[in-house]
Amino acid sequence: MSQPDLRPLPGQQGIDPRGPRFSAGITAVLLAVDIVLGLTGATLAAWILLLFIALMFLWGAAAGVQRHPYGAIFRAVIRPRLAAPTELENPVPPTFAQLVGLIITGLGVILGIWFPVIVVVAAAFAFIAAFLNSVFGYCLGCQMYLLGVRAGLLGRGSKAAV
Amino acid sequence: MPAYLAVLVVVALVAVATAVGLVWKRRTGAVASVDAGRAETVTAADVRTDAPFGERATLLQFSTEFCAYCPQTRRVLGGLAERTEGVAHVDVDLTHSPDLAHRFNVLQTPTTLVLDGAGVVRARIGGAPRPAELEASLSRILHGQDGRSADAAEEAA
Repeated sequence: MSQPDLRPLPGQQGIDPRGPRFSAGITAVLLAVDIVLGLTGATLAAWILLLFIALMFLWGAAAGVQRHPYGAIFRAVIRPRLAAPTELENPVPPTFAQLVGLIITGLGVILGIWFPVIVVVAAAFAFIAAFLNSVFGYCLGCQMYLLGVRAGLLGRGSKAAV
Repeated sequence: MPAYLAVLVVVALVAVATAVGLVWKRRTGAVASVDAGRAETVTAADVRTDAPFGERATLLQFSTEFCAYCPQTRRVLGGLAERTEGVAHVDVDLTHSPDLAHRFNVLQTPTTLVLDGAGVVRARIGGAPRPAELEASLSRILHGQDGRSADAAEEAA
């Protein structure tokens, strides 16, 4: 029985890069449903669903993408049907992207208490980011990090907890 | 709003995101030559590194700690430098150096500058480089140093 070589890179726990893309796909579908709910007048349902999505981002940002429930679905159901990944990815960037997702959807949840339209706006922004991540492998949240560094908001003097 | 209009909004969002994604796919990793007239010269001190620059060319990579394609780019550039004599790969982490990001106008990571033996910026790549395009560009820079036009004509033939 031959096992694919999935050893993590030295000094870090590598992940299958398709895992975060699968998770972003689930998130994108949920956000699309959320936008439809919000636009058709089901504002409470839209708010609750966005709260759920935000909590999932919180889970990923706090525990890391390796311990996210969507990642568990990927490993249990999807990964066995795919060929071994050509390379493993550092989990730190997608975990940071989860934090960006949490901030956007979290703002939508909080401001959505007073202005239901904000729920739809936040869901629309998050949808575009999740869609790009899932379909194109373009991690918008990861790119935000450099812009944060340039604006002097991030990075200076801080050490990443790898 | 009726349901069909709401679905139409989602379809429009998919179209916008797809357009953005296609533009990104087209541009990312493409090698852009820098005009000799307005090229800048970079030294190791400029990017605050101890790593030696290459005698014939340097692949200068800018990274951050939160960069999805930086490790992959590191392997591609490192491998190319190892295979090619006189070419060095230097990786600069911008996480704690926002001033360098400003100075070299880095808006995304990885961004790679291809320097010739004199440290002059000859090409720039935003995103994970396309290996074949990068090798072609590097070979033009390596062989064009003593007679750029002659070699370019040779390669085109």
